[in-house]
Amino acid sequence: MQIWRVNTREQTLTREPVPESWEHLGGRGLLARIMVDELPPTCDPLGPSNKLIFAPGLLTGHRLSSCDRLSVGGKSPLTGGVKESNAGGRTGLHMATLGMKALILEERPLQPGWWVLHLSQDGARFDPADDLAGLGVYAVAPKLLARYGDKCAISLIGPGGEMKLTGAGIQNIDKDMTPSRINARGGLGAVMGSKGIKAIVFDMTGCDKPAIADPPAWKAAQKAYNKALMGHPQTQSYADYGTAAMTRMTNAFGAIPTRGFSAGQFEGADKISGEAMRELLLLRGGASETTHACMAGCTIRCSNIFGGADGEEIVSPVEYETIGLMGSNLGIDSLDAIARLNWEVNDLGLDSIETGAALGVAAQAGLLDFGDGERALELVREIRSGSALGRALGNGAAMIGRLYGVERVPVVKGQAISAYDPRAIKGTGVTYATTPQGADHTTGLTIRAKVDHLDPQGQVEVSRNAQMSMAGYDTLGACVFAGFGFAAAPETIRDLLNAKYGWEVSDNILQELGRETIRLEREFNRMAGFTAVDDRLPEWMTREPLPPHNAVFDVPNAELDEIWG
Amino acid sequence: MKVTVHLHTILQRQTPEGLQRQLEVMLLSGSTLADLIEDLGIEMPLEGMLLVVNGRTAPSSHILNESDQVHLMPAISGG
Repeated sequence: MQIWRVNTREQTLTREPVPESWEHLGGRGLLARIMVDELPPTCDPLGPSNKLIFAPGLLTGHRLSSCDRLSVGGKSPLTGGVKESNAGGRTGLHMATLGMKALILEERPLQPGWWVLHLSQDGARFDPADDLAGLGVYAVAPKLLARYGDKCAISLIGPGGEMKLTGAGIQNIDKDMTPSRINARGGLGAVMGSKGIKAIVFDMTGCDKPAIADPPAWKAAQKAYNKALMGHPQTQSYADYGTAAMTRMTNAFGAIPTRGFSAGQFEGADKISGEAMRELLLLRGGASETTHACMAGCTIRCSNIFGGADGEEIVSPVEYETIGLMGSNLGIDSLDAIARLNWEVNDLGLDSIETGAALGVAAQAGLLDFGDGERALELVREIRSGSALGRALGNGAAMIGRLYGVERVPVVKGQAISAYDPRAIKGTGVTYATTPQGADHTTGLTIRAKVDHLDPQGQVEVSRNAQMSMAGYDTLGACVFAGFGFAAAPETIRDLLNAKYGWEVSDNILQELGRETIRLEREFNRMAGFTAVDDRLPEWMTREPLPPHNAVFDVPNAELDEIWG
Repeated sequence: MKVTVHLHTILQRQTPEGLQRQLEVMLLSGSTLADLIEDLGIEMPLEGMLLVVNGRTAPSSHILNESDQVHLMPAISGG
């Protein structure tokens, strides 16, 4: 494996050996290591000193079920701190096969203009891409596939990234060529836009499969892992209902964001539930699929294709976070309306969580009525127009809150809270507050823990454990749902790593990787100027009761500050 | 006594009338969540489920009361 370093000003590539201290890391952990080692922590996130880093996980590259994920990171223009955003799709597999331990994009062009960065075993090439400027990802992906062939992987930005909006992400094509596997959070699309890169094409043609030090041991560990994953009772639930199954669950706990995080139960929750979606898609047929894999080799297949009444695809996939933030959070109880909003934000290359939260704040400011899906769509299209209001919305919830003087803004470190209200799932509130990433459920969701989620006691420990595991999985390149298999057969993590690399890691490797990753991320944030004050939920959430439980967030600040000792 | 039971995802029942995800169940006074789950014939192991009564997580030994809202969910996570 090598480090591929691209200078976007000089349009050059150097391939370097992997420094020893980077070797044992991948994915999220490696991003944090590189950021601490190389990034000036106080740099302008959209300036030439920031770097955009792509890193496949330690296990990525072998079509191991749910373990081919990609981490992208850099200093976040949304939070001002460390950022890792994680996605499925095919980019991770192609990077690993090309022998990339990490891809680091540096500098920025001196002249305006757009480029496609083409990477293959022959090296890097910058192809002019001004003809693609302003186009959405659903228009650009087919053009790139026609130009470069359908055997490649592609990471690209939409108009949101071009406009350097802090709600912009980076899209990856999946195994069906759909560009909707998104490194969505924290404005990384804006960082890519700041470097003049519209798309990166990864072409692994001619490359051998990534090396495995001990193939028989790998095969045995893979078999044990697959058996544990497929034998787990939840795997079928994910295949049939996907993440949308969370809708009724969070509603039952009184934690689903409703009308701008003003309530925790939504009267229309059943209509936008995973159960309702499955029934609808089975009834509609056509392009609709209730079960779909985002990565080759995935046996869980939690994704879906959402088709309309005419049988044509509206968007793929519809996930719970989008249902929560663009559905119940906006008072919208129509899956079709949510799917259309979802397509629009995807095409713009925006994070549906950030944009949904921004629309929820906009509704409080009187820009739309809760429940008005058409007006919500109009506002999202306003972003495409590049108007001042559109750009403000595309910059996220905090920006709209400041612009209109709205108090009830659901953000931590400037990043929108996802679809679990922290007043009713307090362990997840601890995660939102204390993760170095800004509010992000993927860094340590606790809803599955068998605790009273309304009781502030003990939530710090629940969150700490979840955060360590998730940082570990993100470093491995494992999907959160792979965690069910790994939890049932934890020795397979050790065995897979030892078989692939010839290492002798211990049984505690997941926690060790997680602890090291979070330590590095906190170190970067500290150097960037973050203090304990930044590890807080919005003050109004400690004061304003959330119906139906009338809960406030009341985990003491002193406990939050002690989470990492 | 009567409780309302909400069945999530794969715990829903396929009946001649279609999928049933909410039902009223009559129980003897003093019945626990474990009794209810046994009465319903749910086969998922208890450790794989989240049991929620009136919006709060409850153990299987929890004694139910008249008009309780009970949610039985596969213990999933994510989003």
